[in-house]
Amino acid sequence: MSKTFFTIFCLLIYAFLLAPIVVVVLASFNSGAFLTFPPQGLSLRWYVVFFHNEVFWRAIKTSLWIAAVTTVISSIIGTMAAIYHVQFAGKLKETVRVAMMAPLLLPEVLTAIALLFFVYTIGIGTQTVLPLIIGHVLITLPFVFINVSASLESYDVSWTMAARSLGAGPFTRFWRIMLPLIKPGVIGGALFAFIISFDVFTISFMLKSVGMSTLPIQLYDYLRTNFTPEAAAVSSLSVFLTLLVVVVTEKFLGLKIHRF
Amino acid sequence: MTEVSIERLTMDYGVHRAVDGISLRIRNGEFISLLGPSGCGKTTTLKVIAGFEHASSGAIRFDGNDVMQVPAEKRDIGMVFQNYALFPHMTVAGNLAFGLEMRKLPKAEMQSRIAKVLEMVQLSSHADRYPNQLSGGQQQRVALARALVIEPKILLLDEPLANLDAKLREEMRVFIREIQRRVGITTVYVTHDQAEAMTMSDRVVVMFGGKIAQMGTPAEIYDQPASVEVAKFVGQVNLLRMKVEAITGDGGMDVSGPFGVIKVKSIEGAAPGRAVTVAVRPEAIDLVSPSEGQAATIASSYYSGSLMDYRARLADGTLIDVQTFPRQRFADGEAVGLSIPADRWWPLEVTA
Ligand SMILES: Nc1ncnc2c1ncn2[C@@H]1O[C@H](COP(=O)(O)OP(=O)(O)O)[C@@H](O)[C@H]1O
Ligand SMILES: [Mg+2]
Repeated sequence: MSKTFFTIFCLLIYAFLLAPIVVVVLASFNSGAFLTFPPQGLSLRWYVVFFHNEVFWRAIKTSLWIAAVTTVISSIIGTMAAIYHVQFAGKLKETVRVAMMAPLLLPEVLTAIALLFFVYTIGIGTQTVLPLIIGHVLITLPFVFINVSASLESYDVSWTMAARSLGAGPFTRFWRIMLPLIKPGVIGGALFAFIISFDVFTISFMLKSVGMSTLPIQLYDYLRTNFTPEAAAVSSLSVFLTLLVVVVTEKFLGLKIHRF
Repeated sequence: MTEVSIERLTMDYGVHRAVDGISLRIRNGEFISLLGPSGCGKTTTLKVIAGFEHASSGAIRFDGNDVMQVPAEKRDIGMVFQNYALFPHMTVAGNLAFGLEMRKLPKAEMQSRIAKVLEMVQLSSHADRYPNQLSGGQQQRVALARALVIEPKILLLDEPLANLDAKLREEMRVFIREIQRRVGITTVYVTHDQAEAMTMSDRVVVMFGGKIAQMGTPAEIYDQPASVEVAKFVGQVNLLRMKVEAITGDGGMDVSGPFGVIKVKSIEGAAPGRAVTVAVRPEAIDLVSPSEGQAATIASSYYSGSLMDYRARLADGTLIDVQTFPRQRFADGEAVGLSIPADRWWPLEVTA
């Protein structure tokens, strides 16, 4: 009885969370000229329009490579920070955690403005893509950090000691023992970093160089003057891309390993 | 084959002194146990020998060579951890191969060594299993195999049997000891279980509060404990207060107490009139008829299958623990005699 109730409750929450996405995806198949729901007839018309829209493609490409670079940098720094946090910080453990989580706790717009001041103060300005990457790394770092930290909490330091007594130096210990055993956390964190970087708006909007557009910025620009289902088609594609990233990672890198 | 010598080793964690100036010489192929209560510094000592911790002062030598500056990965030590620390993402064979890969051994030799060691620990058919597919006892044997396959100079074991159930633990004692003898490797074994230390070791090192309280063969530790603390830690003991009557010329002394005047070895500080604590183990006492021994009555008894534990009350009210084989049983309240061979009395300390 209570189990049924719980199931229904969960389904309702999922419905509530997923409904907007479903609406957007359905709206993207609209055959009418305006972004409405329910769609007036089904067609791939707006996908065709979108596939011929150079501007959106450029934005998608920009977003993809920025997300890729961000993911790599953020995964490396975040993993190192997590290792320090869990195994070496000692009394500083809590301080390190709060510092690493700060970008998540502060409003994004505040972080963006602070960064903007920062890059102009130190003189790198926003002529290059560098500030934007810094911003993306900063806000994706907490996600890598918490995921890797969680994995590390169940990492037994005696594995490292065992490897050491068997003759493994620091690099071997990391590559052959620690990294494989915290892989789920690192991959999970990297996934978050990629998806969030792909999706983030405020930071990108403030820190982008002139003439550069990521997908969210391009969509925003577009929606200010147009209201066609093409926007829904673009959004849907980004939903599909995200799903694809998750599925491919799960399939080829594997989030599960032999443990216990 | 390696001789280990430890000299005045001290290890401080901040202001806390975990190991306090211990000196110890371990012979080639010897099996040494560090025995002591939890927190007495056994693991720390082992970690310093292995190179996981840097000693605050003192020296460690393997075959005369100072190894204090040698990092753990270069010390050539086989270590077995309490929780086994098997790599969960590698098979049994993978775990064993790891140390050999670090030594860049040719593949063929690697495989023959792994096969040999797996046979020794009776796990040849489990080479392709993952650790989570093995029982606790099997994991324990893999851990031992992984430490031995690299043919290290020294084998270190930190409470390796603590996570096993009682029956398996006793089997593993014999198993580990036999393998150690066969390989002939110098071994340091850490445990808080006195029976384990007694049955397995050539020599036992008893530690309290970071210091060595006594070291010697299991029999020496048990029969001739250096202090009340040691006597209590390595087994049950009756402690009796007696008075020194006379110091005899032959290195002995006469003491008087509930058992009349007896002769024991003389100890430091003993002089006529001083009070001393004298120990006697419960199983050193025989129960005989009241006329043949010190008269007593049975106060209570506990039956444990192979042994019988009695508590006997002397005329002056002193309670004495006695352990016998339950061949002859005595009822509570029954009058008995306590017979103690003269050489089973052991004086411990002068108290007043
Ligand atoms: N990393 C550490 N930091 C601070 N104190 C420690 C550390 N490791 C052990 N100690 C302390 O040192 C003492 C000895 O510990 P240990 O060698 O683990 O004892 P044992 O193995 O005999 O139980 C204990 O009081 C313990 O609290
Ligand atoms: Mg310990």
